[in-house]
Amino acid sequence: MVNNQKVKIDQMKSPSLKMGNVEIVLGKIEDDWDEPMGPTPMPTLSELREWDMKLLNRYDPFYSPICDMCCNCAYGKCDLTNGKKGACGIDQKNQQARTIALESVIGAACHGAHARHVLGVQIQRLGNDFKIDMGLDIACEAPITRTVTGIKPRTLGDFKEALDYAEGEIQNVLASIHTGQEGNYKDFESKALHIGMVDNLVKEVGDIVQIVGYDFPVGQADAPLAEIGAGTVDGKKPVILMIGHNVAAGAEVVTYAEAYNKMDDVEIAGICCTAHDLTRLNPKSKIIGPMSEQIRFIRSGIADIIILDEQCIRTDILEEAEKVGSLVLTTNDKATAGLPNMTRLPADEIVNKLVNRDIRGAMILKEEKVGEVAVKAAEAIAPLREGRKAIPNGKNVIIEAKKCTACEECRRHCPPDLHISEAMTKGKIADFEGLSELREHCIGCGRCEQACPKDIPIISMMEKASEKMIKEQKFMIRSGRGPILDTEIRHVGRPIVFGEIPGVVAFAGCNNYANGAKEVAEIAEEFLKRRYIVVTSGCAAMSLAMYHDEDGKSLYEKYPGDFDQSSLANCGSCVSNSHILGAAIKIPHIFARRDLRGNFEEIADYIHNRVGAVGVVWGTYSQKALSIGTGLNRWGIPTIMGPTGVKYRRLYLGRNDKPKTWELFNAKNGDKLIGEAMPAHLAYVAESKEEAIIAIARLVMRPNDTTKGRQIKLTHYTDLYKRYYGRMPPDLHTCIRVEGDIPITEKDEIKKILKKAQWKEKTIPDPTLLERMVRQRVS
Amino acid sequence: MERITSWVKTHHAGSSQARPIEPDTAVRIISNADKPTVIIGSRIMDLDGAPLDRTIRLARALDMPIVATAHSGKFLIERGFTNYVEMAVVEITNVVTDNKWGGIEGYGRPDLVMVLGSHLDLMNATFQSLKNFSNIPTMSMSRFFMVNATYSFPNLNDDIWIQCLDDVCDKIEKSHL
Repeated sequence: MVNNQKVKIDQMKSPSLKMGNVEIVLGKIEDDWDEPMGPTPMPTLSELREWDMKLLNRYDPFYSPICDMCCNCAYGKCDLTNGKKGACGIDQKNQQARTIALESVIGAACHGAHARHVLGVQIQRLGNDFKIDMGLDIACEAPITRTVTGIKPRTLGDFKEALDYAEGEIQNVLASIHTGQEGNYKDFESKALHIGMVDNLVKEVGDIVQIVGYDFPVGQADAPLAEIGAGTVDGKKPVILMIGHNVAAGAEVVTYAEAYNKMDDVEIAGICCTAHDLTRLNPKSKIIGPMSEQIRFIRSGIADIIILDEQCIRTDILEEAEKVGSLVLTTNDKATAGLPNMTRLPADEIVNKLVNRDIRGAMILKEEKVGEVAVKAAEAIAPLREGRKAIPNGKNVIIEAKKCTACEECRRHCPPDLHISEAMTKGKIADFEGLSELREHCIGCGRCEQACPKDIPIISMMEKASEKMIKEQKFMIRSGRGPILDTEIRHVGRPIVFGEIPGVVAFAGCNNYANGAKEVAEIAEEFLKRRYIVVTSGCAAMSLAMYHDEDGKSLYEKYPGDFDQSSLANCGSCVSNSHILGAAIKIPHIFARRDLRGNFEEIADYIHNRVGAVGVVWGTYSQKALSIGTGLNRWGIPTIMGPTGVKYRRLYLGRNDKPKTWELFNAKNGDKLIGEAMPAHLAYVAESKEEAIIAIARLVMRPNDTTKGRQIKLTHYTDLYKRYYGRMPPDLHTCIRVEGDIPITEKDEIKKILKKAQWKEKTIPDPTLLERMVRQRVS
Repeated sequence: MERITSWVKTHHAGSSQARPIEPDTAVRIISNADKPTVIIGSRIMDLDGAPLDRTIRLARALDMPIVATAHSGKFLIERGFTNYVEMAVVEITNVVTDNKWGGIEGYGRPDLVMVLGSHLDLMNATFQSLKNFSNIPTMSMSRFFMVNATYSFPNLNDDIWIQCLDDVCDKIEKSHL
């Protein structure tokens, strides 16, 4: 059946009919959705190109290559420095944009394949016609799907079409990356933005399918608290550890353990987003932490069974697991680790082979079987593995430390530039404090060990040095609540759009922190105290939990889980961050009654100019994080990355000194005017926590802010600037449109600054980048 | 003689490599520039602010503004130095690559960009961006050999690094003050 296909007839003549310039949309009859179809249902690469160019004109891409060469084809390597072109004619800017497009495709493909997998699993369990019911407080069940595809999903089966569309676009952009295709960097950026939007779509599909299929919390602000931290796992019980981002197999472990009353007999724990989703399924599951915990926890030997699903799983896990005698199950055909396929064997036979060590591990692609094998094998193997770990004892730490010659090879390969040899020098005299301090900033990548010419097990030594601290590593996190309720949007939509709620700050992404995870919690708390709305998902949501205040409470215990001021809403895993964007989309829909159906540009234009939201990806590392951020950018939402984000090679930076780039329309009267440089940047890297805080306060300002709203935002901006930078912001005069914008408490001082800057009042427009949104032309 | 390699081993990007320099060469390059400028970042307070003190000496001698990135401006205020502009490191790098940029207010467009006291990956990004998209020479004055700069101090230990900075400051002060 054809759905949402457009047919355009320029001219048609027959004996009885003459018509021209007619566009017909063919598709399903939507009897209970009264929204008319917008202009871009399931947009192709070129259909939103004009919108992208509007953004790229404001935020001309900034590139910092991390490789000067292109080595993608057998013409090369080609050196692209100093304006040189490669054998295919590509130049450095285009090559950087091409790489960005490729990495975005990888990210979107991961989320898309995840969504396709869980959809297949749930359709098999529940059927095509299983209803999408998000409860009474959520009428707009899938805001991204509605806006991008024009589909209002009623059943699981309805999502197939959305994924068909997404997969087609992923393939198309991937094709554009072949040697000798796209020749313009902005067009490559447009493709990256397109695929970022597709990434948003498939994440939403994936998480809604999980929510309805596994009965996860739906917009539950008081979702149960769960335990997080390596110290929460009781190693005396059989321990099953799950690593990855697709809960399909893990869910069956929990289901099996529940069915056989074993939830209290075995420990079920996870690392990365599968762990988030396990707690959404059953809050008795434990979260160890983000990706940085993988090597460390495996070497502790606590895990009896390690189950891998997909994405961000270390590729040497089998090797690490074998050192401590843990068994590995692979459960997804994207990551099989060379293990034999045991899917067709009976569960008990697989368990016997594993326990007898006939096989190194097993690939099992039937989720129910994974559940049974994991629980049975963990119970059988646990008593046989007592005492197995790859962490040295104290005496061995000293022996290993004495091997260190302070050659600094470790530091020169360490992403956060840790001073490892200094800690080793202390370790030689049994002072382990340095090693323990290193662990707080270590991202667990293991590159130091690879670089060490003496094969010193640096990470294991940090673990030994931190043994006491790890045992006490017990925190609380609120399980992922899923989407934001329509009722919550009704409550906060107006004050967000008017700027009276100073902003929405969304923490997402990975744990590749330049200066430790604690900074994320510190940044978040700064804005929680200031009555911003704080939302989170993924590894960042874990980092926010892994920090106690003086009273021993994590942020989740101090702040409620609503989507409201001074609240901390954890949406869940990586795919759940689609609900954060979903909330931004619901604001124009619910508060301003804008139609969503196939209406991307209008909604993105609204968000860009009126919704003071900013994404913070402080520890970014993965291709998925890039596609997540690039997706937010296409909707006009700025993102701030930590220093490691510069290694993505591209930012979208605005220029205050180029006023023409800030042109917009005043929708009230059609005037074209030079708008404020807001949001100042679309993709930005901050070097320090202090800079990130300032950038957040700056990037939540929007041209649509009312004077009251701008006053509130400026009060925070100036206060933070003075605290962290020691003076008034030098760009203050560019943030004030009329006298009413000036924060009352600083009025006299700011007026002097404005006078010195020869400031003049500016019009506060009804801002839009789309000429078609002009309501009335006065002249 | 030991081969000089990038401090961060993975910063090697391609066919070109920075020219390693000693203080005398640095002084010559700085003295030959009409509009030198220096970018400092979040790590300028390492070694109790010793690098910051040398940067201020250099800026005073050359009557040159400092571009303070991240939160480093606060430390300049604490030392009573006010001839600085506050920008993000990616913002200053971005504008320097633009031939049409009007330059730093009251000073102009730099013809030499020196960098020290920043996060290593961000310093590298600045050097990479300027190497690929501008004709403006760059100089790493950090203690690390930054392979993508035009000129760089070699890898130095902390004491020798500060001695080098002192040496540059002494000679610049002598010739400019």
